Amino acid sequence: MIVTVKLFGMLKTQLHNESELKVPLDQGCRVDDLIAAIQSMNADVGDLLLKRKILVSVNHEVADGETELAGTDEIALLPPFSGGACPPWEMLADVYR
Amino acid sequence: MSTVDTEASLVRVQREDFSIDEEINRVRNRSTRIGGIATFLGTARDRSNDRDVSRITFEYYEGMAQKKLREIRERALQDFDVIEVLILHRYGEIDIGENIVLIVVGAMHRADAFKACKWCIDELKQITPIWKCEQTPDGEVWVEQHP
Repeated sequence: MIVTVKLFGMLKTQLHNESELKVPLDQGCRVDDLIAAIQSMNADVGDLLLKRKILVSVNHEVADGETELAGTDEIALLPPFSGGACPPWEMLADVYR
Repeated sequence: MSTVDTEASLVRVQREDFSIDEEINRVRNRSTRIGGIATFLGTARDRSNDRDVSRITFEYYEGMAQKKLREIRERALQDFDVIEVLILHRYGEIDIGENIVLIVVGAMHRADAFKACKWCIDELKQITPIWKCEQTPDGEVWVEQHP
């Protein structure tokens, strides 16, 4: 089977503005197999996946390496979300007094 | 209005700007029991990591982002003593000073509204697949902060 993997953010930039990857996999493959396949296609992205700097989502949920994949699954690679600086909780404590 | 319609109006990811007054009223009108409304408004600033920023672009994962925002709203309604929660995030190109994200929480009392509002924005930043790209003098920079 060939799975389509959506790309976002800096990953898209890193992969020449491609919005998705097509990855050939055997039936019954798991997320770990997908990561290995991506590693062989692009070692830099593969390393980020292995270090869990990039997460894999399957059908809109973050998936672990054991998650089995089907050809119909919606799969995406998720680079770190944007987050943002916020003050420590203590700074807001006065609000509740 | 059905539950689905209600949820759709209270959890949105949209390109266009929003009216803070209209969004507050959307929450206020949900119940006359509401006695306090807490809001968080995130806006685009012109400085980040010691660099000037001239514009910000937000990208999001269609479907998953909305799902995570719905989950945040549902958990806030379940875990805090609040009456209504609205979560709204913009995507696309946003100029400096413009609105980015709005959380509005209505509760009987202010303490619960403040607590839930703080939790919602923190959780949004942790679990919602939204990415921020800043336009700086050095070029475009994807932001990966997780403080």
